[in-house]
Amino acid sequence: MGGHGSREPETGWSTVNEYFASYAVVAALLAAGVAVFAGALLASRLLRPDRPTPEKLTTYECGVDPVGEGWAQSQIRYYVYTYLYVVFAVDAVFLFPWATVFAAPGFGMTTLVEMFVFLAFIGLGILYAWRKRVLTWT
Amino acid sequence: MIQSIDYAAIASPLVLALMAGVVLLLDAFLPRTGRTRTTLGLVTLAGVLAALAVPAVQALSGARLRTFCVPAGLSRDPGPPPCSFVVDHLTLVFGAVALAAGVVVVLLSMAQLAESTIPPGEWYFLLLCTLAGAVTLPASRDLIMLVIALELVSLPVFALAALKRYDARGSEAALKMFLVSVVSTAVMLFGVSLLYGLTGSVHLSAIAARLAAAPVAPGASVPPAVPVGVLTVAVVLVLAGFAFKIAAVPFHFWAGDVYQGAPVPVAALLSVISKAAGFAGLILVLTTALAGQARLWGPVVAVLAALTMTAGNLLALRQRHAVRLLAWSSVAQSGYILAPLGVAGKQAVPASVAYLVIYAAMNIGAFAVVAAVSREGGRNELDDYRGLAFRAPVPALALAFFLVCLAGLPPGLSGMFAKIVVFREIVAGGAGWLAVVMAVNTVIALYYYIAWTARLFTPASAPAPSSASGPAASALTIAITLGLVASVAFSVAPQLVLSIAG
Repeated sequence: MGGHGSREPETGWSTVNEYFASYAVVAALLAAGVAVFAGALLASRLLRPDRPTPEKLTTYECGVDPVGEGWAQSQIRYYVYTYLYVVFAVDAVFLFPWATVFAAPGFGMTTLVEMFVFLAFIGLGILYAWRKRVLTWT
Repeated sequence: MIQSIDYAAIASPLVLALMAGVVLLLDAFLPRTGRTRTTLGLVTLAGVLAALAVPAVQALSGARLRTFCVPAGLSRDPGPPPCSFVVDHLTLVFGAVALAAGVVVVLLSMAQLAESTIPPGEWYFLLLCTLAGAVTLPASRDLIMLVIALELVSLPVFALAALKRYDARGSEAALKMFLVSVVSTAVMLFGVSLLYGLTGSVHLSAIAARLAAAPVAPGASVPPAVPVGVLTVAVVLVLAGFAFKIAAVPFHFWAGDVYQGAPVPVAALLSVISKAAGFAGLILVLTTALAGQARLWGPVVAVLAALTMTAGNLLALRQRHAVRLLAWSSVAQSGYILAPLGVAGKQAVPASVAYLVIYAAMNIGAFAVVAAVSREGGRNELDDYRGLAFRAPVPALALAFFLVCLAGLPPGLSGMFAKIVVFREIVAGGAGWLAVVMAVNTVIALYYYIAWTARLFTPASAPAPSSASGPAASALTIAITLGLVASVAFSVAPQLVLSIAG
């Protein structure tokens, strides 16, 4: 088959295989990461002396004795704050690439206004949250 | 580099989006009183009516508007650059159906909110967001816009279903729908990414051109550039995503619990607006992007249609709850709408659209009557409808007409014409087996529609509860009247629908 000079017919599956082969780097990086992490823990285990006492076996919590159970209720208000944070985080994802191009030739005023339209919609959400007294703690 | 925006083309979703913002602000700044509730309802109603005027004007002017086009310098293909937002015949029909049904849903909401603890501002805001998505979806002509519009239709509905707080059934409905929807969206996104990877474009017309340039014929002498196997996987995954939205088998099981658990206006919204949006997306992807691959998806859709109508009807047979019965019957109706697409003939899309328009009128009407009866208290079981014709003659006669229409019997001629159009298309397409399945299903469906209709006219043994009055009742009366007028008009002059659908 490969002996004559003509090009091999390109089948669909070979394209797909090439595509997935490009992910080999990701797999290698993942494997290296796991190896370094596991290696460090293993090396520490092999080198350190091991004399456990009940105090040493308690959960580490900032150097103080832990209080209560692991399943502790936290204030529901943190949930809303997390949401608001996510809004701004996503907002920044759009703002950074925009900031690099809006002054470039071919963009200009329309691009500037478009982003402020987007920000106005987010502002609407903040205004609503403020009026519904989400932003006050008590 | 910048896409030009034609504001006349996007006026309808723009009005809805701005009104959603206005409603949210009004709710935040007006005092929480009964009058605010009514005001918010009326503002929403005005917004939907204004948005409905836009497709009417666009249809009269007859212009084919396109916007969000790829700038001429950046288009890689010869010919006119592809556009993401196109207002054509299909867009106008689907937009008008969604908004007309939206008017009825807003009226039902006004009655629902008048006497419950549901927060009105959030309710109307979410409702307008869903409608904006339902209007954007039929105009979308690229995959990204389609997915985003579809999400805009679905996401607010979860919250709407759960807004009745401290109601276990409502929360269960919302969670169930959320989980199924998220999974189906993920599945569809995978299919969409495969389509994009295979063709290198997200615009439906560009995808069609790319696929047409590479014929998918197994065993052809020239090896195809687009692998048939991967294309088949992509088509099936995209189909699965839309099958969830229209509650087609095997993604139908959420329908019963969600329709019953959610407030009645949300069930009406799911069964008409959300379903119309799903069909719009399905029709766009199948007949625009994958038009040349009909041999690939045709048989799959035909089998889905047969399974959907059969499963829906068999499940509806055993129901004793009115909303559950309508839920499964609307699954069955989805099967009838899918059937013409399965044979993929030339007139398949007009046949499906005609059935959908007629279905929308009769189903939203039936939900309006169910909403009215659910206000009487009781659990909205079929037995609560016993003797309704003597207690409330007008809603009872209207419901009888809607049910007869859904069954497809005279005098409900609109339902019969819809079925005839679909039958004609299936038989012309040569799918005799599908026509037989549909005929058997129509007979099965007769049983539960007629059994419900008969209950309306049997005398009730229990004393009749006092009928309510006030603004809520008048909103419901208007909603029922709108559904009735549309259904009667389609029965008397079916050519209205058949001409606009073609």
